[in-house]
Amino acid sequence: MSGPLLLAVESSCDETGIALVEDGRRIHANVVASQVALHAPSGGIVPEVAARAHLRWIVPVLDEALATAGVTMRDVDGVAVTYGPGLAGSLLVGINFAKTLAWAHRKPLVPVNHLEGHLYAGWLLDPGEAEHDAPPFPLVALVVSGGHTFLVEMRDHLDYRYLGGTVDDAAGEAFDKVGRLLGLGYPGGPAISREATRATAYDRVFPRAWLRDTYDVSFSGLKTAARRIVTQARADEGLPADGREGDLAAATVAELAWGFQDSVVDVLTTKTIRAAEEVGARGIVLGGGVAANGALRARISGEAEARGLALVIPRPGLCTDNGAMIGAAGARRFAAGVRAGLELDARPSLPLARPAATSS
Amino acid sequence: MTQRGPILLIDTATTRAVVALGTAEGALIEQRRWTAGYRHGEELLARTGALLGDRHVTLSDLGAIAVGTGPGAFTGLRVGIATAKGLAHALGLQIVGIATGLALLDAARAADPAASGLVLVAPAGPNDRVLLRLGEAARIVPGGADLGLAADERLVAVDLAGRAPQEAVSLGEAAVDGLAAAMLRIGAARLAAGDTDDLATLVPEYVTLPRGIRMPLPDEGVEMSGSEPGPAAGGARP
Ligand SMILES: [Zn+2]
Repeated sequence: MSGPLLLAVESSCDETGIALVEDGRRIHANVVASQVALHAPSGGIVPEVAARAHLRWIVPVLDEALATAGVTMRDVDGVAVTYGPGLAGSLLVGINFAKTLAWAHRKPLVPVNHLEGHLYAGWLLDPGEAEHDAPPFPLVALVVSGGHTFLVEMRDHLDYRYLGGTVDDAAGEAFDKVGRLLGLGYPGGPAISREATRATAYDRVFPRAWLRDTYDVSFSGLKTAARRIVTQARADEGLPADGREGDLAAATVAELAWGFQDSVVDVLTTKTIRAAEEVGARGIVLGGGVAANGALRARISGEAEARGLALVIPRPGLCTDNGAMIGAAGARRFAAGVRAGLELDARPSLPLARPAATSS
Repeated sequence: MTQRGPILLIDTATTRAVVALGTAEGALIEQRRWTAGYRHGEELLARTGALLGDRHVTLSDLGAIAVGTGPGAFTGLRVGIATAKGLAHALGLQIVGIATGLALLDAARAADPAASGLVLVAPAGPNDRVLLRLGEAARIVPGGADLGLAADERLVAVDLAGRAPQEAVSLGEAAVDGLAAAMLRIGAARLAAGDTDDLATLVPEYVTLPRGIRMPLPDEGVEMSGSEPGPAAGGARP
């Protein structure tokens, strides 16, 4: 492989990520400073605290990335940076740092959509990993995380057709809320996934919101149902409803975690597979933090295999936010001539759309 | 002592952003100011480039970076410090973070040498204000509440036109006018004394956080991981 080497910067939420990626696929370094533990006491991300931590960690993350890859800025062909969507204050740190590096080192600046990064994580190869086929077009991609849940069709690079997505909460938010209901703390996703594997009975069925004839999904009804089911379970065990006193039996927590997770996995898998069949996709790509969920990975991989669909799910560390995925998407934009000027600013609500090349 | 190149100063803590060049001894060479509101990021690099170009100074001529650390609007501080860090890293220069609030008091004193007992007040969010006295930590005064000034204290009101007495607003404007010169004086003195900041750990001064949220310790709760060469679970399958 000998394509351009991009330095890629990601700071849209609560991970400061800087990576060096060659030709949009090969990772040379992918350093992430994760603030998950920082926000755990407040049960969610505090934007002011997140932005300050980005400022605190961005230089060490850059130094570590350059050292790991064994390169200097002279070896870099361009600087890619997430400019949205995300938290404005967090985005600003990465954008202004990346812009300044690009300017001072006289490198082209490539603006990248964070959601596009999650899609392109499927193209990445770890250092030393044997080269394998890139995801085949046309494909259907499911991005599912704490901030986003949507399905998109890609017939070519940088070509997106939105198929559907959540009409209310992101799947990751539902995991966080139900994790809290079950007393599992923040973040809820990994905790629920862990508890669910301990279930020995599978008769706690949670509702599914199918929103028929669309690729949209909804998790607010599931969340409400979860509160009712957990309250009932507490009453059954003679516990007060509000959850301040007394814990549910471990077996009950495991069964409820399984039931909730099964509902989310069922809906996401069914919609994704249906979309893949209806658009005539050859493959499926998963991305986003919830794509690290073991039950979702197992279910979707079984369904895809049964239909002869290629399936690409990045390893968990590439599903959560990181710089390498921005380098992968950035390489496609770089090749297409997409550049940003020094006025690049944060776009907290940036939609996923085909980027326009600039002439500079 | 080796001859140090000019100091590049950035301050984005107030709604009037400033970028300035100063001599190694701290004398103001030239400054560029503009009303950035809350969109400091769009113009900062272009204005910096224009200032350097007009003075025929290249990036590699610079001797050090000085940056205001607030208190001030979050947006501006993030932009200013991220930019200053990027420059210091790219150019291999030392960085000095200067408390904007103290520099504003310094500038107000320079503008009115007879004034004593100066107290700085600036907005903190849409309603609250931040109050700074020399020798004390900045503190938040809720909107509507009395600032609790002593009889011999004089107010320097920054970014509070229409929300503070006219005399205080005028003194605040004079302080903002003299901010770059004050910061360059302070920055040059600190550089000469070897009192620079660590590029990694320099962060803005925050005095406001949402209710109930505690400011974490400097390195609390963050874990840095490298590129572990893990197997790519679920590569492309037929
Ligand atoms: Zn994300």
